[in-house]
Amino acid sequence: MSRINSHDDLLKLRKKVLFQRNAKELYLTICAGTGCRAYGAEALAEAFEKEIDRRGIGHRVAVRRSGCHGFCERGPLVLIQPKGICYLGAQVKDVSAIIDSSVEKDELIERLLYLDQETGKRVALAEEIPFYKHQKRILMENNALIDPTNILDYIAVGGYSALAKALTGMSPEKVLNEVKNANLRGRGGAGFAAGRKWETARKAPGEPKYVIVNADEGDPGAYMDRSLLEGNPHSILEGLIIGAYAIGASEGFIYVRQEYPLARKHAQIAIEQARESGLLGENILGSGFSFNVKIHRGAGAFVSGESSALMSAIEGRVGEPRPKYIHTSEKGVWGKPSCLNNVETWANVPFIINHGAEWFCGMGTKDSKGTKIFSLVGKVNNTGLVEVPMGIKLRDIIFKIGGGIPKGKKFKAVQTGGPSGGVIPESLLDLKVDFDELTKAGSMMGSGGMIVMDEDTCMVDTARYYINFLAHESCGKCVPCREGLRQMLKILNRITSGEGREGDIELLEELSEFMEAASLCALGQSASFPVRSTIQYFRDEYEAHIREGRCPAGVCSALITYEIDQTKCEACGACERACSVGAVEKSENKTFAILQEKCIKCGACFTACPEKVAAVIKVPAAVLLPPPASATWSETRV
Amino acid sequence: MDANRQVVNEQVLAHPLDVVVIDDEELFTEGCRQTLELGGYRAAVARGGLEGLQLVQTARPGVVLVDLKMPGMDGIEVLGRLSELEPSVVPIIVTGHGTVDSAVESMKIGAFDFLTKPFEPEKLLETVRRGMSLSVLRKEAKEVQPAETYHEEPPAPDKYDLLLQGLDVLGEAYSLGLEKRQLLDELNYLETEAKYHAQSLGQIKKKERAILDIRHDLMAADDIMRGYDFQKGALIQVLLDVQEHFNWLPKHILRWISGRLNIPLREIYTIANFYEAFSLEPRGRHSVQVCAGTACHVRGNSELLLRVSTALGIQPGQTDSKQEFTLETVNCLGCCALAPVMQIDDNYYKNPSRGKLDKVFKSLEKEEAQACHA
Repeated sequence: MSRINSHDDLLKLRKKVLFQRNAKELYLTICAGTGCRAYGAEALAEAFEKEIDRRGIGHRVAVRRSGCHGFCERGPLVLIQPKGICYLGAQVKDVSAIIDSSVEKDELIERLLYLDQETGKRVALAEEIPFYKHQKRILMENNALIDPTNILDYIAVGGYSALAKALTGMSPEKVLNEVKNANLRGRGGAGFAAGRKWETARKAPGEPKYVIVNADEGDPGAYMDRSLLEGNPHSILEGLIIGAYAIGASEGFIYVRQEYPLARKHAQIAIEQARESGLLGENILGSGFSFNVKIHRGAGAFVSGESSALMSAIEGRVGEPRPKYIHTSEKGVWGKPSCLNNVETWANVPFIINHGAEWFCGMGTKDSKGTKIFSLVGKVNNTGLVEVPMGIKLRDIIFKIGGGIPKGKKFKAVQTGGPSGGVIPESLLDLKVDFDELTKAGSMMGSGGMIVMDEDTCMVDTARYYINFLAHESCGKCVPCREGLRQMLKILNRITSGEGREGDIELLEELSEFMEAASLCALGQSASFPVRSTIQYFRDEYEAHIREGRCPAGVCSALITYEIDQTKCEACGACERACSVGAVEKSENKTFAILQEKCIKCGACFTACPEKVAAVIKVPAAVLLPPPASATWSETRV
Repeated sequence: MDANRQVVNEQVLAHPLDVVVIDDEELFTEGCRQTLELGGYRAAVARGGLEGLQLVQTARPGVVLVDLKMPGMDGIEVLGRLSELEPSVVPIIVTGHGTVDSAVESMKIGAFDFLTKPFEPEKLLETVRRGMSLSVLRKEAKEVQPAETYHEEPPAPDKYDLLLQGLDVLGEAYSLGLEKRQLLDELNYLETEAKYHAQSLGQIKKKERAILDIRHDLMAADDIMRGYDFQKGALIQVLLDVQEHFNWLPKHILRWISGRLNIPLREIYTIANFYEAFSLEPRGRHSVQVCAGTACHVRGNSELLLRVSTALGIQPGQTDSKQEFTLETVNCLGCCALAPVMQIDDNYYKNPSRGKLDKVFKSLEKEEAQACHA
């Protein structure tokens, strides 16, 4: 590929690419994101290619493997463009039928279309599927239009035009002001103003300066950064180069977590292609500005996503945070000014430069502008990645886009913000989602994980899950975080195993306060949020565990036993086959029964029992309640 | 003086040499020679590149110390010729013009390590000691290259000489009044050594392989480090590559990296322990990971984990006895919409049934068996 030496070159190239693209009538875009790959998207794409070859229609129909479209629940997804038809869950055996009806003719295959549960009608067009209809897709939109390994696809949708605009028509100060005026806040967690960070790094003395993409997406339950980097790596690269220009940085890093090999590969390809095209390296677009990027792999440590810890990892050291009396924007990697932003933050930059700060401020609320991508997962019908304008109601995300709770269960809470966030109960469902509202509700935006929980989710167990995670991931450098988490975990383990004591809740609250005030980095300071918010909204569940030895949701295994309702059992034997320890036995009257002394309470029989039979039931276990104890610190020392 | 040295060198040549020092500065070379001899090495001196190369050719030392800047043939050139002449010799660069650039340059063309003048005698001895052990490895590897022509009864190596020497030393020690108890310990040690060597004579073929394997491993580690220009800062990246290549972090590789990148072994172990990606024990050929992310937790990953665990017959964190599978839980695989989800090697599976699991595991085992058979 030849070098693009000026803004004009880029425009010419785009024209040429569009002209070539228009020669094809149809594109079959197959989502090859990680989710759809698990459903066999690669085999599907190969089958399409073979069939197109066999029919000799390759001159007018092409297959494209794109990044994640977001609707991962129903993969593999096939989009027929430009018609806009969206087939869900297509399999290799459907390939020939799809080409017959939707490529050769203008017909639809009903059974592969989205079924709207409310109206009972099939929906053909992607944009009309409720999951997509209520979203505002700006960052994610191009994912469905481009092959992430082909820079020409990105250029065809207007890629790198923002870079050209910034480098040839704007001074670095002007770029910086645009981002500041747009009030772009960091998408990685705390929501710090990106413009202010950039300005600090720009003004800080020291050369060279660094810009860094934080793709160490560690929050369990969030994967939007992965999908952006896998599906549209050039958009992040473009944002990074623009940022480097504004800040005056000459080198950049993309810090990708080791668990995301595909994201790393696509980012690497993007860097190489951009370099060959003259969009990266020396004298970019003939502007005299030079900039280089390297990929740095993370090695699996949650705390390394913290800015100062990430920077020590880049230097090849143990990724532990340091006290930040001096910001990393002033002294970061190797003591030089380093500006670190999350993947999604960088991806917003080209849009702000292209459309202006005013356009960006047209979306969102007073202090949170633009859109945010959430990973809507857990007990919700339409799981996947959703991009919505800031300020949308939580209820709209979960019920309009997410399609509500599966199996007609009752909504209990939604957890946002990852391990540093909290739960939001049903009473706050009309909350307008933005940085400040979520913080007010005792949770936070975090990187955008949104885990929906129904009546079968135990809140104490959820808190225990997060504290267990954090206790494992705490780097151990400061005492409040290391010891606080360890003690919290002990107390929560006690409660969930039916040995909770009076005063445990107050003790947890006391520990929370202490950790929040005294920990070194954000991991420790916010580690108690899951505990605090579950106590705030679901204190009754804690009390039921402690006082009655009862788990209301039927999750904590020490507090339940499984039994088979003899009047309902139809003796199908599904439970016996599911049991891995041989605790299910045939009784005299040919139905099944559970041998309690062998049972390990894994719940396999409960899941295996057919829904319409529902003979396996959870019964509260008889737990010996401990004598009430007073709750002074010395006596409850754990 | 020159004539004098000639005599010294000739005398020395009667015995094989350990170290040759090539430098044009007399004070320096003499200092080195004395330090080395006090440290128990047989050392000789050459005053220029050409003279040094001749000496190396005749004396075939283990380690050569070369000054970078010399009149006539400079250090870099000496290094280049050395690698053709005597590839088993381990070159160490000495420089008074210690810039990082020249050091990196010399490492690239095959220097084992470099010393910046002035240095402490201890530093010199330590570096030479490491160089000598490498040279022994290289020589052994070279000796076993033509494996086909090997006799069933190889000529007894000089290990027995070593043993005899040891006994001499013991006698001397006795006369010096060493305690009986210590003497006994020493004797026991020598006996085990002798047994070990006798055994190794029988297992000479195996040993050949082991040496070749180790050599091969170290070369692979070198290739990895070369990709990062032997930079200290790239340690995590190097370890990630090593983990990928060997499927774990073998001890001898970590020691090798420690020497090459000049990073204390302690620091390397700190990093290997801190990050989840590294394993200090051999792992199975296939990696089985069950996601323990929040979305998977809420959707019942514990059942899935139990299913996988019983299918494989191992607990999370364990490797099966055939070194086939390693089972682990991970914080989040990052495809939460598929929860509960698991990964086997590069493939993701959404809540697979026991039957599906058995099928996948069996097919992987079969592949392995076929590969072995082939």
